[in-house]
Amino acid sequence: SFVSKLILITQCSYACVCFSAPELPILERRNWLIHLHYIRKDYETCKAIIKEQLQETQGMCEYAVYVQALILRLEGKIQQSLELFQSCAILNPTSSDNLKQVARSLFLLGKHKAAIEVYNEATRLNQKDWEINHNLGVCYIYTKDFKSAEEQLNMALQQNKHDMTYMMLGKIYLLEGDTEKAIEIYKNAVEFSPENTELLTTLGLLYMQLGKYQKAFEHLGNALTYDPNNYKAILAAGSMMQTHGDFDVAMNKYRVAAFAVPESPPLWNNIGMCFFGKKKYVAAISCLKRANYLSPFDWKILYNLGLVHLTMQQYASAFHFLSAAINLHPRMGELYMLLAVALTNLDDVDNARRSYEQAVQLDFNKCYSNPLVNLNFAVLLYNQGDKKAALQQYQDMEKKVNMLVESNSNTEFDPELIEMAQKMGAALQAGENLLWSKPGKESKNSQRSSSSKVTSSQQPLGTNQALGQAMSSAAGYSKSIAPSPPTEPPGELEAEDDVEEAAEPPKAKEKKKSKSRTVAE
Amino acid sequence: MASVHMEMKDSAVSSSKWLDAHYDPVANLYTFSSCIALADLHGDGENKLVVGDLGTGASNMKLKVYRGTGLLSENTLLDLPTGLVSFLMDQHEPCTPAIAVASGPFIYIYKNLRPYFKFTLPTLEVNPLEQDVWSQAREDMIDPMTLKEMLEGIRDKADIPLSVRSLRFLMLEPQDMEAYVNLHKQQPIRRQTVITCIGTLKKNMADDDAVSCLVIGTESQEVYILDPEAFTILAKMSLPSVPTLMDVTGQFDVEFRITIACRNGNIYILRRDSPRPKYCIELSSHPVGLVRMGKNVVVGCAQETLHGYTQKGKKLWTTYLPAPVTTMAVLDLPTRGFQAVLVGLANCEVHVYRDKNLISTIKTPDLVTSICFGRYGREDGTLIMTTKGGGLIVKILKRTAVFDDKDSAPGPPIAQSIRLNVPKKTKLYVDQTMRERENAVAMHRAFQMDLSRMRLAAARAYVKALESSLTPMSASLTEPLKMNAVVQGLGPSFKLTLNIQNTAACRPVMNLAISFLYDENLYSMRTAFFKIPLLVPGLNYPIDTFVECLSDKGISDIIKVFVLREGKSAPLLTAHINMPVSEGLALN
Repeated sequence: SFVSKLILITQCSYACVCFSAPELPILERRNWLIHLHYIRKDYETCKAIIKEQLQETQGMCEYAVYVQALILRLEGKIQQSLELFQSCAILNPTSSDNLKQVARSLFLLGKHKAAIEVYNEATRLNQKDWEINHNLGVCYIYTKDFKSAEEQLNMALQQNKHDMTYMMLGKIYLLEGDTEKAIEIYKNAVEFSPENTELLTTLGLLYMQLGKYQKAFEHLGNALTYDPNNYKAILAAGSMMQTHGDFDVAMNKYRVAAFAVPESPPLWNNIGMCFFGKKKYVAAISCLKRANYLSPFDWKILYNLGLVHLTMQQYASAFHFLSAAINLHPRMGELYMLLAVALTNLDDVDNARRSYEQAVQLDFNKCYSNPLVNLNFAVLLYNQGDKKAALQQYQDMEKKVNMLVESNSNTEFDPELIEMAQKMGAALQAGENLLWSKPGKESKNSQRSSSSKVTSSQQPLGTNQALGQAMSSAAGYSKSIAPSPPTEPPGELEAEDDVEEAAEPPKAKEKKKSKSRTVAE
Repeated sequence: MASVHMEMKDSAVSSSKWLDAHYDPVANLYTFSSCIALADLHGDGENKLVVGDLGTGASNMKLKVYRGTGLLSENTLLDLPTGLVSFLMDQHEPCTPAIAVASGPFIYIYKNLRPYFKFTLPTLEVNPLEQDVWSQAREDMIDPMTLKEMLEGIRDKADIPLSVRSLRFLMLEPQDMEAYVNLHKQQPIRRQTVITCIGTLKKNMADDDAVSCLVIGTESQEVYILDPEAFTILAKMSLPSVPTLMDVTGQFDVEFRITIACRNGNIYILRRDSPRPKYCIELSSHPVGLVRMGKNVVVGCAQETLHGYTQKGKKLWTTYLPAPVTTMAVLDLPTRGFQAVLVGLANCEVHVYRDKNLISTIKTPDLVTSICFGRYGREDGTLIMTTKGGGLIVKILKRTAVFDDKDSAPGPPIAQSIRLNVPKKTKLYVDQTMRERENAVAMHRAFQMDLSRMRLAAARAYVKALESSLTPMSASLTEPLKMNAVVQGLGPSFKLTLNIQNTAACRPVMNLAISFLYDENLYSMRTAFFKIPLLVPGLNYPIDTFVECLSDKGISDIIKVFVLREGKSAPLLTAHINMPVSEGLALN
């Protein structure tokens, strides 16, 4: 104010001389310059000009205050920016822009209800503005009023289509658990903006969640065409390639991702399982251990580590990884089953049996049940000589298989699982007539795409197989990952099923699942 | 390796497309693409570079003309130049273009680099209520305070904003008001606006040497088209926001299109005979550059994207840029039928795009703030850039340069050929693996045994600590206390501060005492026992005491602190203080 008074005094003296008032500077004379620097992100120069301009106009230049507030907000000083926007709204109460910014700052401060009120006020000044509707929608999402949010976002889309709005709308449906509708929205979005890799990737991941792998792969592939460095898409597409056994292609993709995000736990998990699929076990363990180091509380990585160590016949290590995984994720039957396999090999049959019991119990409570748990348990019981209990488990397994077939007639089982089950049925003199009377059909189907495999070389428990056999079992295992190859591993068709090995295949499946899951997150 | 090699080769090729004609890092130019023009000012067939220099941003504004590598002339400008265009006003011989410099509410026209004409924007409509109020003030019918109230009422309600005079009046302190009113009341009220962007539009012929109209955008959200000879307003159009960038094509008398980027982040397309915008493109971030490529509009946005739109506002493509856009210009070589977009980026590069394909990259020594491509001197393909540091760069496109029409950044990313950094495992690891395979059962049992033992030992120690209150947290429910200790000093004297806190919700604790246990050969304490006052919940009570170290042998010990309750022999809590070694010698 000192400066301004000084100016006034000089003005007065000027007036005395020529009897005319001085020309007052136009308030907006440097708005264009402020704007130019602001959009070029040259904030330092911009702030200097604003300061000069505000001094010259004694804080009356609305636009200078407005941009100053925008810059403050970018610098994280949200409360200060809010105050400035409010003073802008006083300088020019008819501008909906000022109100929009006030609301935006309130939103960033987490005051969603207040923001909604101000946005509504702005709507009264400016009826048609997609931005207001969009932001209102976002506010409603945070206040958990999904219905209003949906309404606002749809209104925004009617006025003007923006990728952001689609994304928010899709997010609402996902929050509500309506994946189908979310996919619908993302499909529209991709149609509107076919090169937006984020939309493509999200859509791909959603299809993956629904098990529509063909479509998922299509969209992820598109995303990678437009942006070969898109880490999320690489991880998702890579995990699908792994499922199909294309380990080398998947590895190629992972190399790109490893360059972009060298410290991603899911990435190293997937790389590790790629090596596992290629039977490079030491490299697999190295990568999984790095993943575990980067994310020590991720049970999926621990699960895979347990699995690889079981394959390597390092049962003591496998036990540690599996028990750590169980501590982090105690509600999963397959984990207990793997633990039981490890315990069986550690000569701790009592605990193995308890672990199986837990596994069977947990597996029953799930909608997706795994007959393998019961089969492995039956094998253990049979080896223990408890034929009655083994028969019980065998029948439970049959029930599960029937259920799975009923719910989806296309369900395909691993040929090894079927074969093992048949052998087990014969040994227990139970199976033949019940469940596996249909196997003719079933095994044909299953032959084509196996996902979980039971290795079939059976020996009495406790015998340690030679390394060579472990390798061959792993080979069978890797095949299990690939749905296409129909042939079984040649060396393994001996007699009875080995529990440990039987356990491995489901892990493999798990692995795959876990991969895609991490990716989707 | 192969792709790295390829890329190197590629960048070498792209840099060889341009000849470095001139680089002056200290040309001291502060300007924008809108304030640069190339024009044959003297009609001698040699194009000069005309730059509106913003000086320091407040003073020293200049109109500079360069010829070749040297400065030809300098004219002082009165205010910041907003835009600068060269245009033909008439077709009198010799046919030399005039320069129009927009600055504030004026356009200064220069012919032969001499001031020729000054155009002033029409004033804006003044609120009739405001006019009334001031005329009452002029006749001294109302005092300044009433004037203030009335103006405030108008400000809050009126559609037409107040003039600067009234706004400034409203900011004054009461004692200054009267003088201000007396000073200004005789003058008519005026509301002026300023020019924000300027362009040219051919009047009625498409030829290069045809007469052009000036097109100006103003802060009052209007667009005017001016007659080139009489400087009368031929057409006036209004916009929903303040224009910032414009591109004009067509002829005024036939059909034209004015594409205008506005401050609200939208782009509007105006056509002949429509006083309001015909089409609107809503962007999701501010437009920083706007150029026309044939029939399409290319926009660079603040969100590091480049979009292509049809002239009806339909989105064609989007490209993601590696850095924010600073400025854009069009690269037009009509003789070779080649057009591309030059995009200046904040990472000190200028990218050349043809549609969405990046066809070439130019590295610059500094951040480029303005770009102009055209005929300079007698060379058709000249690229002129100014930098943030005030430098001037002139490059000439080689006549042999060929731009491949395909994207120069396709194929697999380089990263794909980089080997994965898989951690190596040692032979020891493999040996241990083999050992585990052979002895898994024994290892597991030994581990389980040791684990149980350790758990037992830990549980025992814990119980012991709880029983004898050896912890610095009190386990008793009636006296929930917390204590920590701080040792200060270098020795031999130490200050020991015990911070005691009552963690109960509302109950005070009374009748407590503190005692210390230490080696009396090593330490002495003035008071080794004292009482604690009543402890109010939540407050921190610092209790100081002094410890003297008696030894000069550089040894230290533990001092144990007990918090005791009157009448009880077992302590409530215990703290062990590891004393530091005394660094000073005790004075004898």
